[in-house]
Amino acid sequence: MSSSLFILDENLELLVSKNIRALPSLSSVLSSFKQCYHDEAPPILSQNDWFFIHLKRDFLHFVSVIHTTDKPNIDLMTILAFLEQFYHLLQEYFEIKVLTKDVILDNVLLVLELMDECIDFGIVQVTDPSIIKDYIRVKVNLPKIKIDNEEWSSSEESSSSSSNSSSSSSSSEYNNRKKGKSKKKKKKKNTKGKNMGKSKLKSIMVNNKENKGINVVETVKETLRNKNDTTKANVDEGLPNDGNDLYINGDIAKTIIMPISWRTKGIHYAKNEFFLDVIERVQYLMDFEKGIIRKNLIHGEIVCRCYLSGMPKLKISINKILNRDAQFLSNSSFHQCVSLDSIKTIEKREEKEDDDTGLQAAADAKELEFVPPDGEFVLCQYELKRHVKDAPMIKLKDFQIKPKLKKFKIQIETKIQTNFKPTNSTSKLNVKIPLTKVFQEYRIDLSKQIRFKSNIGKVVFNLSDDFLLWEIQAMKGHREHNTNKTSQDDNDPDACASMVAEFPLFNQEEYDRLQEEKKTSMNPPPLRTGPRLEELYRQVHDQQIAHVTPRDKLVAIDFEIPYCTCSGLKIEYLKVEEPQLQYQSFPWVRYKTTSDDEYAYIV
Amino acid sequence: MSDQKVFARYKANEIVADLQHFGVKKFKSNTTRRKNALRKIIANLMLGNYGEMSLLFSELLKFWQIEDDLEVKRICHEYIRVMGALKPQQAKEALPYIMDDFKSRDEKLQMMALRTLVLVPLREFSEQAFDCIISLVNHKSPPEEVTRTAIYALIDLDEVDHERVLGLSSILHEIIRLQSSSPGVIVASLHTLYSIHEKNSNMESFKLSLELAFSMLELLPDLNEWNKATVLEILTTSVVPQHYLDTHEMIELALPYLQQVNTYVVLNALKFIMYLLNYIDVIKESLAEKLSNSVIALLDKPPELQFLVLRNVILLLLSRESCLLKLDISYFFIEYNDPIYIKDTKLECLYLLANKETLPRILEELEQYATDIDIQMSRKSVRAIGNLAVKLDEDSVHSCVAVLLDLLEFGVDYVAQEIISVFRNILRKYPNNFRTNVTELVKHTEVVQEPESKNAMIWIITQYSDIIPNYLELFRVFSSNIFSETLEVQFSILNSAIKFFVRCPTKETEELCMDLLKGCTDNGNNPDLRDKTFMYWRLLSLTKTSRISNPLTFESLKSVLDGELPLIEMNTKLDPTVLEELELNIGTIVSIYLKPVSHIFRLNKTKLLPSSPILNSNKDLSSGVGSLLPSTGANKNLQNSESESSIKSRKTVMMDDYDKPAEKINQLKGKRKYSSNNPSKLSRKPSTLLRKLSMKRPFS
Repeated sequence: MSSSLFILDENLELLVSKNIRALPSLSSVLSSFKQCYHDEAPPILSQNDWFFIHLKRDFLHFVSVIHTTDKPNIDLMTILAFLEQFYHLLQEYFEIKVLTKDVILDNVLLVLELMDECIDFGIVQVTDPSIIKDYIRVKVNLPKIKIDNEEWSSSEESSSSSSNSSSSSSSSEYNNRKKGKSKKKKKKKNTKGKNMGKSKLKSIMVNNKENKGINVVETVKETLRNKNDTTKANVDEGLPNDGNDLYINGDIAKTIIMPISWRTKGIHYAKNEFFLDVIERVQYLMDFEKGIIRKNLIHGEIVCRCYLSGMPKLKISINKILNRDAQFLSNSSFHQCVSLDSIKTIEKREEKEDDDTGLQAAADAKELEFVPPDGEFVLCQYELKRHVKDAPMIKLKDFQIKPKLKKFKIQIETKIQTNFKPTNSTSKLNVKIPLTKVFQEYRIDLSKQIRFKSNIGKVVFNLSDDFLLWEIQAMKGHREHNTNKTSQDDNDPDACASMVAEFPLFNQEEYDRLQEEKKTSMNPPPLRTGPRLEELYRQVHDQQIAHVTPRDKLVAIDFEIPYCTCSGLKIEYLKVEEPQLQYQSFPWVRYKTTSDDEYAYIV
Repeated sequence: MSDQKVFARYKANEIVADLQHFGVKKFKSNTTRRKNALRKIIANLMLGNYGEMSLLFSELLKFWQIEDDLEVKRICHEYIRVMGALKPQQAKEALPYIMDDFKSRDEKLQMMALRTLVLVPLREFSEQAFDCIISLVNHKSPPEEVTRTAIYALIDLDEVDHERVLGLSSILHEIIRLQSSSPGVIVASLHTLYSIHEKNSNMESFKLSLELAFSMLELLPDLNEWNKATVLEILTTSVVPQHYLDTHEMIELALPYLQQVNTYVVLNALKFIMYLLNYIDVIKESLAEKLSNSVIALLDKPPELQFLVLRNVILLLLSRESCLLKLDISYFFIEYNDPIYIKDTKLECLYLLANKETLPRILEELEQYATDIDIQMSRKSVRAIGNLAVKLDEDSVHSCVAVLLDLLEFGVDYVAQEIISVFRNILRKYPNNFRTNVTELVKHTEVVQEPESKNAMIWIITQYSDIIPNYLELFRVFSSNIFSETLEVQFSILNSAIKFFVRCPTKETEELCMDLLKGCTDNGNNPDLRDKTFMYWRLLSLTKTSRISNPLTFESLKSVLDGELPLIEMNTKLDPTVLEELELNIGTIVSIYLKPVSHIFRLNKTKLLPSSPILNSNKDLSSGVGSLLPSTGANKNLQNSESESSIKSRKTVMMDDYDKPAEKINQLKGKRKYSSNNPSKLSRKPSTLLRKLSMKRPFS
């Protein structure tokens, strides 16, 4: 296991270090890391008998150091997996997507404490954010948003006076800051009524819960503070009345070593909701000229957000499992909370099917059963291959570059077609058409008007990066029934979207003539309004001849289709059972298909 | 106060000023201030400002007594941990406070105290740590969290006092045997025992009885992800199945963990199953499929993890004659946004996956990469094509060569150079198949710039001088400025010139030869070059002088200088014992380097498959999937070259060479020099060489 851990900033300056094996000099270790690190360095490096395992995330480097004489453990994958998880943990803790140097510097102690909690003598124990959040309740010191001084001072007053509030001996200044933030948050809350339901009214101790109940009907100021607690989730929950960080609920402390290590007892929400999103990303790459499909994959994810009280048991039935989709069963991986026995029984049943003995087992093992962790988690990830003959969700029907040299024009014609249920429609659909090649092969005269025509959506020309962006926001689904109808479909904007862009080509003859005219005629040259594209173009592309990279040959399509899954995956039902509390719960299921980073046609 | 300010170098007295603000009016604001001061201390420790901070020791001890805030405690403990090694005397003063913390009823504080005791490398501290652990043991129902920490602490304490830890290990054995404690504690005991056994070279490797192994496997669902992985890791090699049934059952139990989200768990499950496959009679088709699927699922991870997985894929591909995994090659196609290290590894996977069926697709991909704008990438892919041509059988070579020739027409310098370099290898393997293409190649003589491709070009010109009409003209391109070349190229030029002369001793070649010999002896600064030149010169002059008394005829000279070259082979396999060891180390650092553990971590034990009545000696016999391809004559050659190359590689452990293919052309670079200078026919039989060269000095 690692001898020490570092978090470094972009310039490899030390932010946080954790000395696990009591190394004498960390700075020499660090300098050897600096020696061997370079951009694009593989995740494992070695120098002067040290091994460095590092991850670069956002603007930070997470480095773990191992000495060659560290005896038993050379387990790289633990360390890599841990660093990755630790990064996610920090993200969760700070509730921001991109970690920066400042955030880490502001919370050095918290980071150290988290490291302490995650690893015991270098051995990874737990990295589940939702658990650790219950365990370590240090206030996160987030970068301040602009707070006017007035509020600052007033809240300081209140915090030092009110005994009930979060003046828990440690750092009242953090609270001030948060209060300032919570005011903003509240405004947001009001505008988004729906979010209110999600706000966690979670408490750990019973008396604490009662207290909160009172709080709700108290003065505005109090509710505001209460909101603060609830919105900030677990970070400072339970603070209002304990005022003593030392107190740890026995339940929480034991959670980690309990059989169900991902959920604490005594979670309570006023409104019990469960959100389940099925998100599928389609990766598709086709060589348009040759008509060969290079890639056709679906990366699926079932993301859940759980706001349920107590220890609920969920039953989810997925049509793929019901139908025993072999590909799905073998290419999916599940969150640790899903008891793997239930998957196994499904498989066993499959095997038994042949001898017709497992009929009874088949009746009761059609669903996933699990106790969900609190908050957001990924229930399942799967990767499916699509058949070559399965038509893509958005199909490029036609792409042509038609030079009309006689008219000194060049036309780019693009047609796309959708292929999904007509009741659905895209919420986002952008087609990016590269122009680098066109600009290189033809001399395009940008001083004249460029014309775009499309039966749906609008077209934008990006001058600096040489591409056309065709933005079609909503486009209806369509299924091709029989082939002879297609000719009609061409004109129907719902079935087939088409776009023509026309660029003028440079006309030497005309140019000469105009120059000549300019010289001879007494009239002033015609006034031009609007931006001079040709000049802008020249400024951006200073003379250098760009290489045609493979990327410049891709017509990339970026889309999002709600309420629809590409693979046809469907949640048949979703049951929430909590035998003790017996509350009413609201399960929500959503589907969405989006394009992966790579959904493109090579033209 | 801005927190940015916390993170700056301070002088000790500045912080003292902050700390000593006692008892003024507002107590609350003072605590904050003091706490901030304490934070500054930690920040300064991070910055390495030890000297100043050590002055604060006594101040800090004051706080330890009065404050009971957890954060303050944490800072104090962190301080002791850092300073302990630097100021042992002072650290001892803190010992009673640490013990106070340990005796408190708060579990968190207890754990913190225990960690500090273990982490400070002082005799007194570790003594206390032992006492604490023993007191925990004697405690009736010790808090589980603390127990767990204590058990893990034993690993570190083992370095301090091995005997004492051994005395405690019976307790750990008991915990595992009874299975009555909480799962976390059981895993901790297991881990500690395992680590202690691994650490000490005088102890046998850790073994678990089958019964306990099964109960551990049944415990798996109740564990958190990290513990699951730990258990799976420990079970590899520590449990030895005795019957095929055991193995099957264990695989059955471990199989679901291939579908976890956490990479760590999956790889460990994979390792465990791969280990068990050595003790199995027949491998089910469905199992192989599951393994392959889990590997593919792992490829969809962040790049660093992906890199790790890919390196292990290489290992798995190398491990068996007929690969267990069925991987579609499209997963290994390179994306433009992959980091460079992933690209390299993918390229290597593609190379290993290539066979007759997949070759066309792979070649198509490689050709695309070769025309990429990334120069490194395109070079590497050209090299990969060349290596494929040498690796695969004769049918496939033609398609590889066709692609290379296409690329040659592409007309980019570096691609052409690379192609010439790899073509030499192809010509070495198939000396007569591509004679017609040689003329095409030598058109690019002007292009070559790098030593390696120059060497290759000179070799090609020399070797095929019979079909190149203007070979001398081409050769002069290189020989005319021999002194500006690198040593390697100088050797090649010299060698080729001699060959030309020996082959057809005309006036022209003689002149060329003599010019070079003179030039090298007069102007050559390098002693090696000079020596070599003298050697050639003497050889030549020997034949020239007295013909009668001289045993060295011109023919034998020719066979010495211009002999036949042996065919080259690709060194496709790693040493089987190394492979066995690597397979037991899936996911560790050695799997990245594909080197045996002892090369990288000198003190580590080598893992070996424990023997059992059902251990399969031959890996391929057991695989129900694989077809048994008899490996014929090639094997002999392989072993030869292997022993040679492995000796070489053992001498120098290069740590940074994992961007190069695991299997390499058998030391071609070194060997080429070797074989072209001294014809290999002789080099293989040194006795004949000796006989030929042992000439009697003519009397008089």
